[in-house]
Amino acid sequence: MASKTVQLEIKRQASPDAPAVWEKFELEWRPGMNVTSSLMEIAANPVTADGHATTPITYDSNCLEEICGSCAMRINGKARMACSALVDNLEQPIRIEPLSKFPLVRDLQVDRAVLFENLKAVKAWVPVDGTYDLGSGPRVFPQQQEVNYPLSNCISCTCCMEVCPQFNEETGFVGAATIAQVKLFNNHPTGKVFKEERLRALAGDGGIQECGFAQNCVEVCPKKLPLTNAISDVSRDVLIQKAKDFLRS
Amino acid sequence: MATAQHPSAPTLRPGVQPLRAGQGTSFLWRKLHSLLGIIPIGAFLLEHLLSNFEALKGPAAYGAQVRFLNSLPMVRILEWVFIFLPILYHGLYGVYIWVRGNSNIVYYPWAGNWMYTAQRYTGLIAILYIGQHVLRQRFMGISLPENPGAAFAKVQHELANPWMLAVYVIAMIAICWHFAYGIWLFAAKWGIIPGVKARKRFGFVCAALGLALAIMGLVSMWAFISPRYKNTPDIVPLTTTQLHIQNAQPAYTLL
Repeated sequence: MASKTVQLEIKRQASPDAPAVWEKFELEWRPGMNVTSSLMEIAANPVTADGHATTPITYDSNCLEEICGSCAMRINGKARMACSALVDNLEQPIRIEPLSKFPLVRDLQVDRAVLFENLKAVKAWVPVDGTYDLGSGPRVFPQQQEVNYPLSNCISCTCCMEVCPQFNEETGFVGAATIAQVKLFNNHPTGKVFKEERLRALAGDGGIQECGFAQNCVEVCPKKLPLTNAISDVSRDVLIQKAKDFLRS
Repeated sequence: MATAQHPSAPTLRPGVQPLRAGQGTSFLWRKLHSLLGIIPIGAFLLEHLLSNFEALKGPAAYGAQVRFLNSLPMVRILEWVFIFLPILYHGLYGVYIWVRGNSNIVYYPWAGNWMYTAQRYTGLIAILYIGQHVLRQRFMGISLPENPGAAFAKVQHELANPWMLAVYVIAMIAICWHFAYGIWLFAAKWGIIPGVKARKRFGFVCAALGLALAIMGLVSMWAFISPRYKNTPDIVPLTTTQLHIQNAQPAYTLL
């Protein structure tokens, strides 16, 4: 077994403006290894397959168990979480690239702040700040919890945005993750105080109307969020809100 | 929200820009595009395919159908407001939607993604086809509103060219596909079928409708190329199913 190795090809870029280069690495195979553990091994001994010393690869990761959303990257062309990408299940050489829709920081690290800005733009939170104790919140019935829980699983990995044909600089589309969070917080008995504002926000340029329903988001989502259901539901809510606003203006 | 002086106000970054919350009018234009595809364009497509089906009854019946449609009140206004302008808008805005998206079926060859891409290509076929079809059949050659009896022969001459026949067959299939998937997209994106199962079931309904329309359209085309009505005279007299108000005068004086 000692001779069994793992081939990796990694797209590297020293800075946002530096030219991209591919580097090849060869690691000794170990049972259960995944892409993040492979990147860690390269960091421990940053030497390319043909023996040249190089720098450790820059990448985001944190929890290593597909719950933090940090390590999204393109592995063999497809956006996915590196930590749950088991080497044994991947075709070799494993080609690893940064996400393509976000500004590159270095190597495999990208700046996904646009999702945070979008979540802020739709007020994706429950407003409980105040000068006095607001007491316990209203009760959420189990039936409602069943609907909400899957939506609360979003890890902000941005895979849904990366694979979306409509998410690009031309459309400025908000992306499925934010729309799902609108549904989640609109369903919340306290969060729904912002319901109308959230829906109006989503009717802005780059809003929910830009969805082309290619459904890549729901296919790629590592946490299996019901994203297309959320887009459909929230689309209707936005439309009704706009109709109400038009008639009441 | 006065974010201009806020210290954490987002500065302009490279890459995809954040949602312009509540700003702009693209929502209205996009929803108009979506709605027009169903009403009136989809409704007109149904009418057109049903009217075409009259060709199976022969040149006189087909001519009578053309005459009936042209006898509708304010028909020229109906034509522009409910057919030409909506199709023009739907087509041009559709191209605008297409050029702003970037298809990625190479990396993500999933069913929905294929349909997304197919909707754009079938739409393009539809625009090009409809452009030449309206030009050649409505605005060039013998004018059918004045001569409904000439309708059958006009189409027959067009389809006698095998290249043109191929264009019509391809366009018929593409347009029925585009309409069938368009209904499904409309229902999905307007929140009528927010459930996975419901979308799947409605997908079968739309597929059946699209298939039925395409078959209907192709069968109608058969009437024009079949030996049965070979060498139809350029203008057939329309006597059998004339409307009562038209009985007094020959068809060519109408409209």
